[in-house]
Amino acid sequence: MDILSVKNLTKSFNGIKAVDNLSFEVPAGTIFGFVGPNGAGKTTTMKMILGLLKPDEGKAIIDGMEVKYGETRTNEVVGYLPDVPEFYSYLKPKEYLKLCADITGMPSDLFIIRQQELLHLVGLDNVNKKIGSFSRGMKQRLGIAQALLNEPKLLICDEPTSALDPVGRKEILDILLAVKGRTTVIFSTHILSDVERICDHVVVLKEGKLVLSGSVSELKNKHHNDRLFLEFETEAEAALFLKKSPFAIIGQLDRHFLIGAENIEKTKADILNWLVKADLYPKKFEVLEPTVESLFLEAVK
Amino acid sequence: MKAYLAFVKKEWTELFRTYKLLILLIVFLLFGLMNPLIAFYMPEILAAAGIDPSTLGLADPTALDSFAQFFKNVGQMGLIVVVIVFANTMAGELSKGTLVNVLTKGLKRRTVVFAKFTVASITWTIVYFVAFAITYFLTDYLFVIGSFSNGFLAFFGLWLFGLFLIASVILGGILFSRMVGSLLFAGGLVVVMTLLNIVPTFQKYVPATIASVNVSLLMGTLETSDFVPALIICGALIVGFVSASILIFDRKQV
Repeated sequence: MDILSVKNLTKSFNGIKAVDNLSFEVPAGTIFGFVGPNGAGKTTTMKMILGLLKPDEGKAIIDGMEVKYGETRTNEVVGYLPDVPEFYSYLKPKEYLKLCADITGMPSDLFIIRQQELLHLVGLDNVNKKIGSFSRGMKQRLGIAQALLNEPKLLICDEPTSALDPVGRKEILDILLAVKGRTTVIFSTHILSDVERICDHVVVLKEGKLVLSGSVSELKNKHHNDRLFLEFETEAEAALFLKKSPFAIIGQLDRHFLIGAENIEKTKADILNWLVKADLYPKKFEVLEPTVESLFLEAVK
Repeated sequence: MKAYLAFVKKEWTELFRTYKLLILLIVFLLFGLMNPLIAFYMPEILAAAGIDPSTLGLADPTALDSFAQFFKNVGQMGLIVVVIVFANTMAGELSKGTLVNVLTKGLKRRTVVFAKFTVASITWTIVYFVAFAITYFLTDYLFVIGSFSNGFLAFFGLWLFGLFLIASVILGGILFSRMVGSLLFAGGLVVVMTLLNIVPTFQKYVPATIASVNVSLLMGTLETSDFVPALIICGALIVGFVSASILIFDRKQV
């Protein structure tokens, strides 16, 4: 069963299409990766799913109910973690959760149980200082706690790990993994290793359009290891390679290249020979197992 | 209702913990004390400055001078302080994005507007009353408060104008999402009303009148019929501004 289905969603800002005829489904119980470079339309899509932005066309259906712009009943089954969650800095975490609970009309006895459980889950159970003094990671974790307060059927996280250091990122990913099974998680990111680590489904956006979607294992199986990955030290080297090389570049992001090969052994030798002649020495040269990263690079080419 | 009370409680906590309530109380406490004291010691103050009060044609100070000080201090500096303290109540939440979490939790947008208007109005009422009570009793102690015409109406007018400014900064905050926009909106309204007040026939309809002619009303030199229309229009505008705040906020993207 799909907890969320997005149908032909379109939104323009000043004549530029931020989201262009986007459709996809999110199966219940999954961790769903929502991937794309910055500016691909991830946040815009999420805000439309939350009823915070009005779509130009199309609709989103959550748990059988259509999302309405403004006050929408669908938000009763959704928890939302914004990319940079903002809290009232003068409140303490328990006070903030209490405010959220009262807003939703949660009974006090239930709140006490949920609060302890959630603060423990996000590792803030012994923190009794004002939110104003929190680190980003702590705010992000409190953000997850508030989003999960109502036991939502769908948890939407907008780039929850992007602004965090590696320790903070790991903590967030562990929390998301821990809630899997209890709720469906949609999680947008441009950090592909995060997707690889926890997601089982993924959609890739580019310039507001869907370019790839499916379950991670399915996608990996479809793509054979007929790809080579090249990374250069400097932009100049990368530019030179892009300009001069005769090879089939099927994906590029900054200094990273993905090269297709029909005969992997031959192409490998050809590239190495060509590089020596061109006096170009890559930082990394690798025959790729299909990874989310290679799928992504190919998709957003 | 539970959501409304929860948000009201949050607003109170904010006023306490950000010291805004304390600042307001201190300012209005000082105003309350200053009004009668300045009026009472004005001859001495002038004498210390080397001016003979009689050359200015000033009679001995009376209770009326003390109340005139009240309307000048509270009606100008006092209102400015209130406007500054509450200019960020809506604008700050919109520019920082603190409402996103609570709105996606199903908090009604009108509840936010009502709660903010309630808390700001009650705060204004409290500090206004503090200043008034201190001025009143101290004036009665230093001078003797005789009888005044339309005492209630004069003090009620300034209080209602405070509510009008609070409704303006909330609407301004929703319109512009920035504290500066909120301040300019309220300030702009005051400027427009001051300009309108230049035309004598407009005076009895312009809301700013109820915060500027209070002394004349006390002295009995102004008829209530020249005061009440402005009072009614001010009340109507408050209702209008709060309604407009809700309607516009409901359509606003946050």
